[in-house]
Amino acid sequence: MKYRLHYLLLIPAILFLILFLVIPLFITLLSTVRTDGGWTLSRYPVFFQDFYLRDIYFRTLKIAAITTLAAAVMGFPTSYYISRTAKKYRGIYIILAVFPLLTSPVVRSFSWMIILGKNGIVNDFLVRIGFIGEPLNLLYTEFSVIMGLLYLFLPLMILSLVGVMENIDSELLRAAESLGASRLTAFLKIVLPLSLPGLVIGASLVFTGSLTAYTTPMLLGGDKTQVLSTLVYKNALALFDWQQASLVASIMVITTFTVVISINWFSGKFNRGEAG
Amino acid sequence: MALLSLDDLTVSYGDNTVLENFNLEINQGEFVSLLGPSGCGKTTTLRAIAGFVNPGSGRIVFMGKDYTNIPVHKKQFGFVFQNYALFPHMSVFDNVAFGLKMQKTPVAEIKKRVQEMLELVGLEGFAQRHPGELSGGQQQRVALARALVIKPDLLLLDEPLSNLDAKLRVEMRVEIRNIQQQLNLTTVYVTHDQEECFSISDRVVVMKDGKIEQYDQPEVIYRYPMTEFVARFVGFENFLDLKEKDGRLVTNNGIEFKLDRNDELAKYRVAVRPDDIVIKEVGGDRTANVLTAKVKISTFLGKEYQYLVETELGEFVVNAATVNRIKNGEQIELYFPEENIRIVKEAL
Amino acid sequence: MNEKGKSLTLFTFLVYLFLIAPLLIITVTAFGQSEFLKFPPDSFSIRWFLNVFEVEMFMRTFLISLEVACIATFIALLVGIPAAYVISRYRFRGRKILESFFLSPVLIPQIVFGFSLFNYLVIKLRLPVFTGLLIGHTIFIIPYIIRVISASLANFDYEIEEAAVIFGANRIKTFFMIVLPNISSGVVAGFILAFINSFNNVPISVFLTGPGVSTLPIQMMSYVEYYFDPTIAALSVLLMGMTTVLMFIIERSLGLSYFTSK
Repeated sequence: MKYRLHYLLLIPAILFLILFLVIPLFITLLSTVRTDGGWTLSRYPVFFQDFYLRDIYFRTLKIAAITTLAAAVMGFPTSYYISRTAKKYRGIYIILAVFPLLTSPVVRSFSWMIILGKNGIVNDFLVRIGFIGEPLNLLYTEFSVIMGLLYLFLPLMILSLVGVMENIDSELLRAAESLGASRLTAFLKIVLPLSLPGLVIGASLVFTGSLTAYTTPMLLGGDKTQVLSTLVYKNALALFDWQQASLVASIMVITTFTVVISINWFSGKFNRGEAG
Repeated sequence: MALLSLDDLTVSYGDNTVLENFNLEINQGEFVSLLGPSGCGKTTTLRAIAGFVNPGSGRIVFMGKDYTNIPVHKKQFGFVFQNYALFPHMSVFDNVAFGLKMQKTPVAEIKKRVQEMLELVGLEGFAQRHPGELSGGQQQRVALARALVIKPDLLLLDEPLSNLDAKLRVEMRVEIRNIQQQLNLTTVYVTHDQEECFSISDRVVVMKDGKIEQYDQPEVIYRYPMTEFVARFVGFENFLDLKEKDGRLVTNNGIEFKLDRNDELAKYRVAVRPDDIVIKEVGGDRTANVLTAKVKISTFLGKEYQYLVETELGEFVVNAATVNRIKNGEQIELYFPEENIRIVKEAL
Repeated sequence: MNEKGKSLTLFTFLVYLFLIAPLLIITVTAFGQSEFLKFPPDSFSIRWFLNVFEVEMFMRTFLISLEVACIATFIALLVGIPAAYVISRYRFRGRKILESFFLSPVLIPQIVFGFSLFNYLVIKLRLPVFTGLLIGHTIFIIPYIIRVISASLANFDYEIEEAAVIFGANRIKTFFMIVLPNISSGVVAGFILAFINSFNNVPISVFLTGPGVSTLPIQMMSYVEYYFDPTIAALSVLLMGMTTVLMFIIERSLGLSYFTSK
């Protein structure tokens, strides 16, 4: 113990990550500010001056935001229900939420191709009841991407929330009611604040996940509804414009980190406010 | 010569020095307890002896050899952990056999010795159970068996009974003492329970802030605490300062006190147990060792009353089996019999 | 139960319908007879399941995916377990930062990571495609291993390690005889989580696959682009079967509560 040999055990992992994560990422980031003779930041404003690219950037943000909001709205009541279910049955809900999470994203996105396709269930149903005459173009739209992403990430929201809500003692609600709070007030004053940490974690997982997902936008958005990740792929492997691919990749990294850091900062600030 | 001696041992965790120039000697076959409140360094001392913490300076000498830098696994010490630290994935048999296997003892002998040891601690028939299937007391016995089976040169126990209920604790300490004497094992025992420690030990080390306050037989510590800290620890609740005047010892308000011993000290602080003060009615003929007092609060304890009384020299706690409860506010006299007064070193 | 109103029950039911229905639809569709994906199918057969085994690309890429996932997970365990052990066991300056560093691969958008590795390993270093693929998968599953192993080490009482040492085991023996057996369920669960994530990965593989070396998800994506028959549905059902088995093992080893306590 004296010679602290055990710290040697960290070296393989550190070496691996530096060699194959830090260096490659650094090269990508660096290439966006290098020119033949020197340095430049001009590529970033140029990206945002291009209407087409700017559209894709804000579409990606919009899709991620809507997905997160929808996941929160669907996940919050559901998780509360699960957290108040007897422990025996809670496991079943957890299994049903974890199962899609472990299923291939290709499979999960593919299921929405069946549902939203020209001959899919939704169109089939709408035509049959005479609501529409011609099948709608539901696939390769922002709508289909959002549905796919919501389907992909809703379990993460539910699991994050259940984890926190499970620990809220039901007696707290009874205590609040005994002190004169209505059921709704008790919920808003007790459950909501206590489950905020879970909501923050869930929201940041869903938002960053939707922001960077590739498989689902590729299958359900295609060329018609591009997002940043499909743009990276297209630039790199369809157009062979690696300079541009690096730029989009860097913008994705910067955006993701900004989001993660601000969520941490805000929730940290919020929690400190609560304590003080 | 002592079997184990700690010479000028200093142990620190980061900036926090727990032991500084610590010295202790333990003889062959002795049962020595380290007693003190949490944070006094008793567990650190035990862990230093075992080798779990490395002293910054000083030496640990065992059987005449320098043991300071011998790796833990090369010492033949038995250790019983506070939370037992049984291997959860091994049966009782494998837990007890672990140390023997490490010593590459022949299989047949392992079987025999483990069996004997399980009998000794009263766990025959539990060999194939897993620790999770045992009660706290049974786990404790396994932990003890595991430490004893290797015939340790030294047995170290870290608050081994603190997780057991009161009745079992008394039972186990008798058992531990019996086994220790049967095997003539030199033992170091850490505890914060005064009664447990006195009942089991040959000698007791009372520790405070990483220093030894007193190291002696339990009876001596109980009857003659040397410092205010030890006195408080063993139930002396009343303290009184005396000074020398014209060859006599007097209190600050001039009342003479006669003492059993007359050590040469510049300043005298004396300690008395609540049970050792006698309550008298006002107006006795004795004047030395007597203070007048007024009852503030009385509490019924069962076999006696406890009185909190106020004197010119401060408050005192007195236990007395008076027939009736003395009313609050009533004037009484307190008599301090000289054989019950102990001179102690003041706490720093 | 009185805290759960009828409307909340209905809401939860609908949300779970949303979670489960698509997978059920795939499953039913897979048993269809016709050449086109149709729900509900007019008639049933298992011909598309048989067809999965006829498509040579699926079989080949399945084996490659399996191979990559197994080797990458194995390497990640070799690298990750010691690292997780040190950051869980010891308190030292920079421990928190190091932990974040080990978990950082999940923060990097996978498509960006895939592209960067492609740029670096394949274009600059000219490594063989398979090696690049293996490295990419290993790096991005390291956080899963570290997280699961750390979680099971959090329940590990290091005092029993000291007990082993005092009874004569050296550090290495102690690790293999005491620590490893007690975190074995974490190792199994970590293996499976890492395996699933590697096996299902698309965004990294899409850059690191090349001539002759492709993975099953990549192959499925390109199949979907050209064909719209129930073969993919049948293959999906088979993959869900695999997920079921693996999830069962996780439940047995780690307990599903792991997923709600991050």
